[in-house]
Amino acid sequence: MRHFNLFYAAARNIERNKTRGLLVISCLSAILVPFISALALLEGVRLQAGISVESGADIYLTMDMYGRNGMVPAALAGEIKKIDGVVKAVPRVAGRIYVEGMPAVLLGLPAGSFPPSLSFVKGGLPDEDGIVVGRGIARKLGLDTGSRLSIGTRIQAIIDHIPYVQKKVYTVSGIFDAESSIWTSNLILMDVEEAVSLFEMEGFVTDIAVFVKENEIGQVVEDIQRMNSYFRIQTKAIARKAVVTGFNRKGGLFTAMYVVAFATAIPLILMISGYGFSERKKEIGILKVTGWQTYEVLEMVFFENMILSLIAASLSFILSYVWVRFFNAPFIGGIFIAGAEQMPAFTVPALFSWMQLFLSFFFSIVLTLSGSIYSSWKTAVIPPAEAVK
Amino acid sequence: MKEIVRCEGIWKIYNEGKPYEVRALSDLCLTISRGSFTIIGGPSGSGKTTLISIMGTIERPSRGGISIDGKNIAGFSDVALSSLRRKRIGFVFQDYNLIPGLCAWENVSVPLVPEGIPIRERKDRATGLLETLGLAERAEHSPEEMSGGERQRVAIARALVNNPDIVILDEPTSSIDKESVSGLLDIMKGLKAQGRTIIVSTHEERLLGNADIVYELIKGRLTGHADNNGMHQ
Repeated sequence: MRHFNLFYAAARNIERNKTRGLLVISCLSAILVPFISALALLEGVRLQAGISVESGADIYLTMDMYGRNGMVPAALAGEIKKIDGVVKAVPRVAGRIYVEGMPAVLLGLPAGSFPPSLSFVKGGLPDEDGIVVGRGIARKLGLDTGSRLSIGTRIQAIIDHIPYVQKKVYTVSGIFDAESSIWTSNLILMDVEEAVSLFEMEGFVTDIAVFVKENEIGQVVEDIQRMNSYFRIQTKAIARKAVVTGFNRKGGLFTAMYVVAFATAIPLILMISGYGFSERKKEIGILKVTGWQTYEVLEMVFFENMILSLIAASLSFILSYVWVRFFNAPFIGGIFIAGAEQMPAFTVPALFSWMQLFLSFFFSIVLTLSGSIYSSWKTAVIPPAEAVK
Repeated sequence: MKEIVRCEGIWKIYNEGKPYEVRALSDLCLTISRGSFTIIGGPSGSGKTTLISIMGTIERPSRGGISIDGKNIAGFSDVALSSLRRKRIGFVFQDYNLIPGLCAWENVSVPLVPEGIPIRERKDRATGLLETLGLAERAEHSPEEMSGGERQRVAIARALVNNPDIVILDEPTSSIDKESVSGLLDIMKGLKAQGRTIIVSTHEERLLGNADIVYELIKGRLTGHADNNGMHQ
């Protein structure tokens, strides 16, 4: 009952000192909202990256060209298919293009290799001269099934000092729903032969996606490498590692930046926590005069900070949710999703969890306690006659 | 009567050893009997408040011993002194020191909070005391809405809520009107009748005649005392 009484007294103190409470909550929220949003985005992007890697091919094969990824002969897919343990070898053309000034990813696949999970909002698989586009890019460019879209990749001529790109016109045969994925929202899918023609790389593809029987990746990699030492092989394990490393680096960078921001915020929090300290000093003196023990005063102060931190963390969590889910994380999305501002509209992936709420609460209570517990203790141990002066 | 408080060679020096050192009390010795009504008199700045603060255990003497019921409390820890105050001492400040924003009954029940007494019981005890002191209808009012006399009675109720046997009042008549002074006197007489020891610092003439003993302080020194047998130097 004693703890409940002290908790109740703490709640009454917050109610009595509304201005101080509001200031502390506002300051904490200003720090916590970006923090929670960032954590949620980081987790969301990491999850999607993981899903993409896991649902992709086991091996991606390219050629080494001056230390970079180079084209591979399309016919190589047939040779790879003959290797023991290989289930499927799909020649692909993947490249970054600009469509009406907007960056997009063009992926050319053989007609029978379109992902079965592709969910069409409208229309269906492309026929000759047909393409399917992601919902984000369709919305941004106002495309519908039957719309015509011209795509060009290379400057063909310079006339009167002006470079001209020769474009080819395609018909949108379908729009697929991939709003939840940042990597497919701006994707344009077409037949691989058409993509080869567009990029003018007859006889070649950008890579071959190799699907392998379970537990046979190692052997298949060895066999491919033996075929030609200039092959560059990227396995699922390497991709997975790259994703983890990349996000850890981004997360680490953000955390480091945030530690600096936190450090900057500490004096502010301390100042606000100390707001009205002369009144607080007198009140602690009164409590001591009436027989309160120092640890009882500190317990009450702890409860006060706990309540304020809980409110600030919960409020920040809700605000972050609104910021990310309803407003699509403006300002902060671009930190975690490269080129997010230039991309067509897509829903930023985010994963909210109890851990973020707990972390926010933990940070809040550490900050508020550091701003109040020592000064309260110092006041509580001086003779009460001095404290009430 | 058996003694309850004994001060032996009490010194209180503020900023000791510094150029602006202040000697508030010098080598002061006195005893207070259980159940008595004692007044510490003297002009402003004579050290009355310092002395009753030391007797109320909210201030420590620089030197000398102070005993309550024969136990020297000068070396008591912070915890022990807080326990002593909680169980045995009620203190009423000159400016009452009520907590703003808390209503009268909440202010009165402040000492009961860490006792673990449920809120309903705390409210009952506090409002009962306020009723005794004629403030039943003001129980839900905050100090800001009360007169000086009412605030003082709330402060007295707070000092009494733990049922202490020593009640100390610092300059209780300094901020109240004449009618309130006679009301206060009645309260103090009532407390004395209950067997409590009353210690009051004041220079209010009207209270002097009702005290069992009056100690006179000048510049931190005891210059004399008067009891029912007359004046002593």
